[in-house]
Amino acid sequence: MRGYIARRVAAFVATLFFVSGLVFVVVRVLPGDPALVIIGPEGSPEAAARLREALGLNRPILVQYTEWLGRALRGDLGVSLQYDVPVGRLILSRLPVTLPLTVMAALLMLTAALPLGLYAARRHRRAGDYLAMVVSQIGIAIPGFWAGLLLILLFSVHLGWVQSGGFAGWSGGLWPGVRSLLLPAIALGFFQTAVLVRATRSSVLDVLREDYVRTSRAKGVSELSVIAKHTLRNAMIPIVTVAGLQLGQLMAGAIILESVFALPGLGRLALGAITARDLPVVQGVTLFVASTIVLINFVVDLLYVVLDPRIRYE
Amino acid sequence: MRHLATLLLVAVTLLPLAAPPIAAAAETLVMQVATEPPGLDLTATPASATAGVVFYNVQEGLVKVDRHGKIVPWLAERWNTSDNKNYTFFLKRGVRFHNGRELKAADVKFVFDRALNPETKHPAVKQYEVIGDIIVKDDYTITFALKTTTANFLLTMARQGSVIYPREAVDTLKSEPIGTGPYKVAEWVRGDRIVLAKNSDYHVKGLPKMDRVTYRFIPDPNAALAALKAGDVDATMFGLGPEHIPDLQKDSRFQVIIGETTNDVIMSMNNSKKPFSDARVRRAITYGINKPDVVKGAMFGLGRVIGTNVDPLNPYFVDMSGAMPYDPAKAKKLLAEAGYPNGFETVLKVAPQYYYTVRTGEVLADQLQKVGMKVKIEQIEWGQWLSRVWKDADYDLTIIGHAEAWDIGNYANPKYYFRYDSAEFQKLFQESEITVDDKARRELYVKMQKKLVEDAPVVWLYIHPRLAVTKKGLQGLWKDLPAGAGVNDLSEVAWAK
Repeated sequence: MRGYIARRVAAFVATLFFVSGLVFVVVRVLPGDPALVIIGPEGSPEAAARLREALGLNRPILVQYTEWLGRALRGDLGVSLQYDVPVGRLILSRLPVTLPLTVMAALLMLTAALPLGLYAARRHRRAGDYLAMVVSQIGIAIPGFWAGLLLILLFSVHLGWVQSGGFAGWSGGLWPGVRSLLLPAIALGFFQTAVLVRATRSSVLDVLREDYVRTSRAKGVSELSVIAKHTLRNAMIPIVTVAGLQLGQLMAGAIILESVFALPGLGRLALGAITARDLPVVQGVTLFVASTIVLINFVVDLLYVVLDPRIRYE
Repeated sequence: MRHLATLLLVAVTLLPLAAPPIAAAAETLVMQVATEPPGLDLTATPASATAGVVFYNVQEGLVKVDRHGKIVPWLAERWNTSDNKNYTFFLKRGVRFHNGRELKAADVKFVFDRALNPETKHPAVKQYEVIGDIIVKDDYTITFALKTTTANFLLTMARQGSVIYPREAVDTLKSEPIGTGPYKVAEWVRGDRIVLAKNSDYHVKGLPKMDRVTYRFIPDPNAALAALKAGDVDATMFGLGPEHIPDLQKDSRFQVIIGETTNDVIMSMNNSKKPFSDARVRRAITYGINKPDVVKGAMFGLGRVIGTNVDPLNPYFVDMSGAMPYDPAKAKKLLAEAGYPNGFETVLKVAPQYYYTVRTGEVLADQLQKVGMKVKIEQIEWGQWLSRVWKDADYDLTIIGHAEAWDIGNYANPKYYFRYDSAEFQKLFQESEITVDDKARRELYVKMQKKLVEDAPVVWLYIHPRLAVTKKGLQGLWKDLPAGAGVNDLSEVAWAK
């Protein structure tokens, strides 16, 4: 196990190194010049050229990358071209929005999808199953941004229960912050819930057909025990795999939803940085998101061992 | 089935039964803006998103373009010039920066010395290069000795890059600019909002009327509309499209302000590239476009058709919208004369960041098809548009709005992305820059506009209107925006009592 963890840590570092290099090259070879975007068409190309020189963007990419990497290893991700604030501080300032948002969406996804998927599998080819499938089909068909707008229309414009957007912050207590993230979390989690319902249903159905389930039922084991002990645990490996991937997708989905709900989160920071060619921010956010996704995958791999003792990492 | 219904019911009940939306107090204003400023330093970026917050509200110049488009004294209470080469400004006494220090002539000298210093990288440094010497006569008197007579010098002093700030605040210009304006920057929560607070020591008595102004960044127009309707913002300034206006005009909770701007939306043709290097082709394209239909189709009828560069808020505006009216037969004839009897294929590059460019492009492509042209629309991202179209002129056709006021000089610059190179026009422009007599200068402007219509380097389509929507009762907003399409003076804005 220790050897496995050491290998995973090495792979983690290699992944980050690869991702940082790739992003560095990609954002610099893409058409579009940060200096031009900052100066804009109201300025002159000469002013943009002077700014480009000042930003050090005329130097070879390798020189720029080595310099960035050296600083990044010392914990300095550079300074945002747009905001004139250290990138690390900028990322940290956005986490109190994006982290709770994705956690709330993930909780919604897990608490809604697991019971619904299980319910659908238990009611296979009956009304409840069909209804659950129709609902999940709708969830898959409705894009997150559209679901977000519909939720705003209903709960903010018509009912006036919650603000249409913006983030209340955590300084005023837990509830105002949670309330401002509720609609975006629902919109963000809806699609993923729908996907996970189907994955759960399908996985549970497979297990329900197994001989050991039939045997335990024949032995007179209670239905609750059959489901909880024999079925669910065996069905969990594919479900956890899908859920792990979905956690990564939630972070990607946050980019759109944070724009629709005007939330100052990491996704909107990334989107704005790409549009503004704020290279240090693009680089920093990508690195952060990549690290998070690699960590999630690592946790999922460890969960396999917990769920199925037959799995061993040597 | 019953279990499922219960589950759904619980889910719905869990949704917050929260407090009603917060109503705006009389002395605060929450405004939606679509774009967050790329820094707040007017001496580092010419971005209109920066000007929209900082210019006039936080920082001001010696003179100001007022709501009628007239240059009026501001931090300078008056000025004089005997020869149009030496301008002396007499500063208003008792004007204080937000840090409490009084504005003195030495501050003005510092600002323009700094603008001229290549190290500063001021984006509009070219405008100041005409300044030969800056002489501080006393604490309240300063003279600018120009190298040559410059008719537009006062306009230069009224532009956003000419704001006056204290020398001790240079390092914080980008994030916490200090000036003499009616509001101070209180807070900038990156990605979310900028809050301005009242400057109680403002040099114009009785102003500002608001205690607090919050700019909320809501990029999505539908989200902006929802925020307005839900009462979360009091006003939207540049966030809504024309399609939202008819519905809001019928809603008794809101007032819709439709005004003129300096933002002329044009379809530029690459004058250095065949077939657009042939004036007959450019004229044919102009004749092939039905501009009133473009405004109807792309802008819901909101927007004023124009025929040349100078906008209606400019004192030298001449209505040339009818100079080259829609005439498809003439367009075909001109194309045939130029050697394209069957038209040709071309690419129109647009940046969807500006919604009107795509919509306008679609209408234009359809109209030009009728005169034999096959226009393929290529949507490119804004950063690419700036690099490929604006900087490298790697394009055939493109559409964009030029928001800056007094920008006819772009046509006198053969390196500008139009690549329009007319010695005659350049001569007229140079002459206009040194002609101080208003009547003579107006004549030159009329000549320039006629020359532009004749050469048709671009197709001037329409003025993008100011479309602001506010809650009923908000007063004092500028209807027209003559100081630049993004400039939004909030000093006189107040709620009706």
